[in-house]
Amino acid sequence: MTENSTNQPANSRFDGQVALITGSGKGMGRSHAETLAARGARIVVQDVDRAAAEETADSLRAAGGDPILAIADVSDVGAFAEAIRAVEAAAGRIDILVNNAGIAGGSPAMEEIDEANYDRMFDVHVKGAFFATKAVLPGMKARGGGKIVNIASVAAMGAVGSRAHYCAAKGAVLAMTKSWALEFAPWKINVNCVSPGWVMTPMVHAVTTAEWRKTHIDAEIPLGRYAEPWEVSALVAFLCSAEADFITGQTVSPNGGQVIVGI
Amino acid sequence: MTEIPTTRRLDGHSALITGAGVGMGRSHALALAEAGAAIVVQDIVAETAEETAGLVRERGAKAHVMVCDISDVAAVNAGVEAARADLGPIDILVNNAGISGGMAKFDDIDEAYFDRVVAIHLKGTFFAAKAVLPDMRAKGWGRIVNVSSIDGMVGCPSSAHYCAAKAGVLGLAKAWAKEFAPWGITVNAVAPGYIDTPMMDGLLDDAGKAAHVAARIPLGRMGVAADLTAAIAFLVSEEAGFITGQTISPNGGEVIVGF
Repeated sequence: MTENSTNQPANSRFDGQVALITGSGKGMGRSHAETLAARGARIVVQDVDRAAAEETADSLRAAGGDPILAIADVSDVGAFAEAIRAVEAAAGRIDILVNNAGIAGGSPAMEEIDEANYDRMFDVHVKGAFFATKAVLPGMKARGGGKIVNIASVAAMGAVGSRAHYCAAKGAVLAMTKSWALEFAPWKINVNCVSPGWVMTPMVHAVTTAEWRKTHIDAEIPLGRYAEPWEVSALVAFLCSAEADFITGQTVSPNGGQVIVGI
Repeated sequence: MTEIPTTRRLDGHSALITGAGVGMGRSHALALAEAGAAIVVQDIVAETAEETAGLVRERGAKAHVMVCDISDVAAVNAGVEAARADLGPIDILVNNAGISGGMAKFDDIDEAYFDRVVAIHLKGTFFAAKAVLPDMRAKGWGRIVNVSSIDGMVGCPSSAHYCAAKAGVLGLAKAWAKEFAPWGITVNAVAPGYIDTPMMDGLLDDAGKAAHVAARIPLGRMGVAADLTAAIAFLVSEEAGFITGQTISPNGGEVIVGF
C-alpha cells in the first residue's frame, strides 16, 4: 500500500510546497522524496547521476507527482547554484531542503585514507551541504520561512574505530545544524538533523551477509533489527513539517538504541 | 513507488497520559484520542480529569478517568488495574504529570518541597511505567515517552530540585530504552522549552514572558502545547519504531546542545 494521506495529521502535509532532496536519485534520498511527495510536496530530484534521478522522477510521476530534475554534483558549487536558480525559476520556490547527498567510503583505517578520499568526503558532505543551503537561503529568507534537515550519522555521535574522514565530515554536519539554527531563526527557518543508525537499504543488503547482520545486530542494536528506509524518511518528514515549527537546532537519531548519548 | 506502511493512527491502542487534566497533558490526550487511541486520563484533580475525558469522548475515543496522586504507588497500581479492566491492555504511556519548580532558590527548597518535586516527576514516572510494563511486554510492543524539560538538559539558576528531577527522567528513558528493547518497547523523552501553559502563567506575567522570548528564544515566540504534542504523537506512532533512548526538544532554539 502506498501511504494513505488520511493517516496523517493535517499539519504534517506539504501541499503547495517544494522540497529539494539532494542525492535523491537512489537509496535513502529516493525514500525521502517518495515520503514527502506522498504528503503533497513537489519534489526537486537532485543527483549527480542523471539516469538515477530520472528513475526517481519516474517513480514520483507514477504516483501522481510533478517532480523537477536538478542534475549537478553537489560539491560543484557553481553548477549546483545554477541548477537551483533554474529550479526556483521553474517552481517559484524551495520551501524544504534535505541535505541527504552522501557517500559511504567503506571502513578504511587511517593509513588507507589518502588526500583524495579525504577531500571527496568533505566535498560531498560538508561543502555540498554548506553551499546547497547557501543556494536556497535567499529564497527562504525572502519568504520568511523554510525547513532544512541535514543528514548526519551515528558515526558522528558515538565512536567508530575506522573511517575517521566520514566521522569527521558527519560531525561537521551536526555542528552546521546548530549554527544555522541560530543564524536563520529570525527568518523562521528551522534547521535540524537526522542522524540515522543502520538502515536496511539495498546497498547494506548487498554488501553484508545475513549471518554478519545477525551477529552485528545481536551485539549492538537493542531493538534487534535495522531501520527500514521509510522509518528514517518518516522522521525527516516530521522535521520538515509544520508539526516541528518549534524544533530547531536539534538532532534526532533513529538508531534502534545503538547509540544513546547526549541529552 | 516504494510501499510506505507508515501511519500515525493508534486504533486498537490504549494510552495512559499522566497529568492529563490540564495544560499539555490534556493536549496530548486529545491528540492521541484523535488518532484513535483509547485514553486513560490520569490526574490528581477529578473535575479536570472528567473534563478531559469528556473531550476525549467527543472525539469518538474511549476514555477512562483515573484519579490519584501519581506519586502514590499503591494508588497508581490500583488505578492502572481498573483502567486495564475498562479499556484493555495499556501499551502507550506518556509520563507527563509534573509540577513547577517555582523558580525557587536553593535556600528556599526545604525537604518537603524537594521530596514533592522528586516524587511526582521521578517516582511517579518510575512506577507508572512499572504498572503498565506487563501489558507492553505481553504484547511485544510498547511506547513510553517521558516529559523532561530544557531545565533537565542544561539546568537553570533556580529550581535545582526540578532540574534534577527532569534530568532524572532523561536517565530513566535511556536506561529503559536499553532494558525494554527486547520486547519491542521504545522509550524516548521530550524536553520542551518555554511552552505557554497554565503552569507558566503562575511564574511569569505577560511582560515577563515577552522579555524572556526576546532575550532567549531565537524563533521569537513561546511554544504552544501543540508544539510538544506533535512530537509526542510522532514518538508513540508506528513511524518512530526505530527511535529509542533519544530526546526531542521543541524549544525554539533556546537550547542547542548535545547531539
